[in-house]
Amino acid sequence: MEQKISKIEKDYSEKIQKAQSLKELDGIFLALFGKNGELDLLPKEFSKLSPDERCRIGPLFNAVKQELEKTIEVRRNEIREQSYIKLVDEKLDLAETTQIKQRQGHLHLATQFKKEIIDLFENLGFYQFDAPHVEWDKYNFETLNIPKDHPSKDMWDTLYIDTSKLGVEPGQMLLRTHTSNFWSRLMEKGQTPIRAMSFDRCFRYEAVDARHSHTFNQFEIAVVGENITMANLKYLSDCLLKTILGEEAKSRFRPKYYPFVEPGVGIDSLCVFCHGKGCKICSGTGWFEIAGAGMIHPNVFKLTGQNPKKCTGLAWGFGPDRILMLKHGIEDIRYFLEGDLKFLQKY
Amino acid sequence: MKVSISWLKEFVDFNISSEELADKLSLGAIGVKEQTQDYLELDLTYNRGDLLSLRGVAREVAAVTGSKLFFSTPKQSDHPWERKDLPENLVRVDDKNLCPVYCVATIEELKIEPSSDEWVKKLKDSGIRSVNNAADVTNLIMLEYGQPMHAFDASRVKDKTIVVRCAENGEKITTLDGKERILDETDLLIADPEKTLGLAGVMGGKDSEVSANTKTILLEAAIFDPAANRQTSKRHGLYSEATKRFQHGLTRTNLLQALGTAIEMYEGLGGKLTAITLTGSLQDEAKTIKLTREKINSLIGIEIPPIEIESSLKKLEFSLAAQDSAWEVTVPYWRLDIQIEEDLIEEVARMYGYDKIPPKELKGELLEKINQNFFNLIYDLRKASAEAGLTEVQTYSFFSSAVLNNLAWDKNNLVKIANPISSETEYLRENLWPNLLEIVDKNLKAGYKDIAIFEIGKTYSPQKGDLPKEDYHLSIALMNGTDNPIQELYQIFESLKNSHPGGVTKDLTDENKYFHPTRFAALEKDGKQVGWIAEIHSRIANKFGIEKRVAVLELKI
Repeated sequence: MEQKISKIEKDYSEKIQKAQSLKELDGIFLALFGKNGELDLLPKEFSKLSPDERCRIGPLFNAVKQELEKTIEVRRNEIREQSYIKLVDEKLDLAETTQIKQRQGHLHLATQFKKEIIDLFENLGFYQFDAPHVEWDKYNFETLNIPKDHPSKDMWDTLYIDTSKLGVEPGQMLLRTHTSNFWSRLMEKGQTPIRAMSFDRCFRYEAVDARHSHTFNQFEIAVVGENITMANLKYLSDCLLKTILGEEAKSRFRPKYYPFVEPGVGIDSLCVFCHGKGCKICSGTGWFEIAGAGMIHPNVFKLTGQNPKKCTGLAWGFGPDRILMLKHGIEDIRYFLEGDLKFLQKY
Repeated sequence: MKVSISWLKEFVDFNISSEELADKLSLGAIGVKEQTQDYLELDLTYNRGDLLSLRGVAREVAAVTGSKLFFSTPKQSDHPWERKDLPENLVRVDDKNLCPVYCVATIEELKIEPSSDEWVKKLKDSGIRSVNNAADVTNLIMLEYGQPMHAFDASRVKDKTIVVRCAENGEKITTLDGKERILDETDLLIADPEKTLGLAGVMGGKDSEVSANTKTILLEAAIFDPAANRQTSKRHGLYSEATKRFQHGLTRTNLLQALGTAIEMYEGLGGKLTAITLTGSLQDEAKTIKLTREKINSLIGIEIPPIEIESSLKKLEFSLAAQDSAWEVTVPYWRLDIQIEEDLIEEVARMYGYDKIPPKELKGELLEKINQNFFNLIYDLRKASAEAGLTEVQTYSFFSSAVLNNLAWDKNNLVKIANPISSETEYLRENLWPNLLEIVDKNLKAGYKDIAIFEIGKTYSPQKGDLPKEDYHLSIALMNGTDNPIQELYQIFESLKNSHPGGVTKDLTDENKYFHPTRFAALEKDGKQVGWIAEIHSRIANKFGIEKRVAVLELKI
């Protein structure tokens, strides 16, 4: 048995050294480790050995096996490196025109949805406003009436930036947990009246599974001006729900708490999947929760240097990813950001 | 919070099914996460600490269903300690801000036994396990009043003297869960003159736990600073029904009622109240807020009749004094969430009925325009890329550990996360193309023979003393099965020219270790390099498990 093993080792080491192509190496690999490969078959004979022999042969076998695997890997890299050397001979000629292959292109589902929503709100007089993904605590929390160490901060599991090399106090810089920073920034700039919106990425400290992701989209609108009311909020809710879910959809307000609005409401939509009769999607209630909204809290006005006596405001936000999942029967949120062409090219 | 329906009925006289009740509560008061015949699981919000108790929930139920409460706030003279002249325990509170109220009662002659079936059931319906009669009283009281309590074995407390103080750095305590915890000076402790007894408002100590042999207990009812309590519970990873309540805020009036009832329950078990100390200010401040009709109507957007405004608030036990078209509203002591006029307006609106608010169009002047060119450019570029046959991907804003390892990327130039969920979320992406390479590999393995993808998204570079620089990039990756994909990629890029900022190409001066030795070029705009196009070096592609040639383009928009 020992002879047999060392013969395999010797023979194959030579073969591996002589191999000139990756293909050849693949063949050698299969001959050794594949099904019925020489090393694959050997352990079947171990049962015939005496316990003493087995104690000797076992470790030897393993050592040879590892050695050969390593030799193949080393040779593979050598062959690769040799082929890399030849790359220098290849030329670049961008002037030479080639035919572009005919392909069916696809916009990401989120891009298509974003366009639909942005178009609607542009018609209502809204403008998009871009805000940083990496944000100061000030705009993500503090000016939105979420003070330091307030228990309500636990509503957002937050990813913080390591600022040790940036000369910034720890805990001050974070990945924004909602798109609301766009309007706390706008309010601080004093650009009122405001009729602004954002459809963009947010982040939470959340393990990824079929229903949760640490990276997700939010769409949010903010309106600040004279005589902005909850009746306006109702109107905008209905508009949005009808656009994204169809004419049948309508909104319903429920009391809900968000520190940056007062009154704060949760917004349900009539379940368009069962026409309000009750189904699995709406847990039999005929309605499902879709958004959070409310009238901007006077503290937010004060904290951003605005006068709450002069203006009122509303804010409305929702998670487009979840609605896309409902609309298209998508069962796993990971499809959106993990680049599976089979999924992306369906839409 | 899990609310037992049968227990709730001891506090409020409602006559509707659990299902109807859940509906009414969620539309008028508070979200309901789960509803069964036996219990409701409420979706508690951070502002309504009062709803972390059956009595608080009962008040809301009474308001939204128009039913009667079976309890009212007792008079001070009703408290059991007012009946007799009792000695005081020694209590020393070092910091009145961290512990504004500390009460402790000595109860003697207790016999520790299993609780009655009734108590066990109440606890079980509320999702809490029965321990023994003495401990169960504290939990029943917490559920009923929302006031956490703690019972110490008095024989383990030196001189029956309580000291509420901050820990010394490095001081240790073994908590009820058997774990030794190292403390620092931000942790508030309950101690006796010699040793620590518990982490205030977080968890009791093992050493002073009530056991089968306990005869006398020291019953604690206190209010601790919510922010400090949150810090300590966070730092030690100790979250409990009690910490939740301390952090949501407690009231003095409620604390005294809870303490009174607890003492009566111990007396019912044969215990004797032999000493009591009440420290701190024991009165809640009365709050009045001015509410105007004008403000209500201007925020809600409709005229709500004054009589409706009054009845809405009265149902919730606010009292009102009318003055012209305004009211002086007195807030019930348990509503810590009501601070300003807008808070009252929410109460009016929800009781009046959100369904009565009609939709009204936005009016007002056309606003100063925010420049939308950049947004339009990005959309046009996406559209043109798709029309050129590319599939849009969106990838995480992070570099995966595979990307960082395969490319041996210099992490010093990356934005680093202080508390990553895993190594996959530790660094933000500085470019898009590495993520596209991963996606090429993934789809090659899935059997795709032709892969043409693009992404437009943000990249992040750290800046000293400021937020990272965030740029929008376009990246395209092409694996077309040929040995020279850059040729076609360049043609695709040329076809996008109408939409991209109009780059031209020239040779890159320095070779990039990730690129094919000859096949790469810079993309320029107005004489400045804004990106590059290159075949990825096979060594790099191989590391990602890609055996085919891949060409990539990355461009700052």
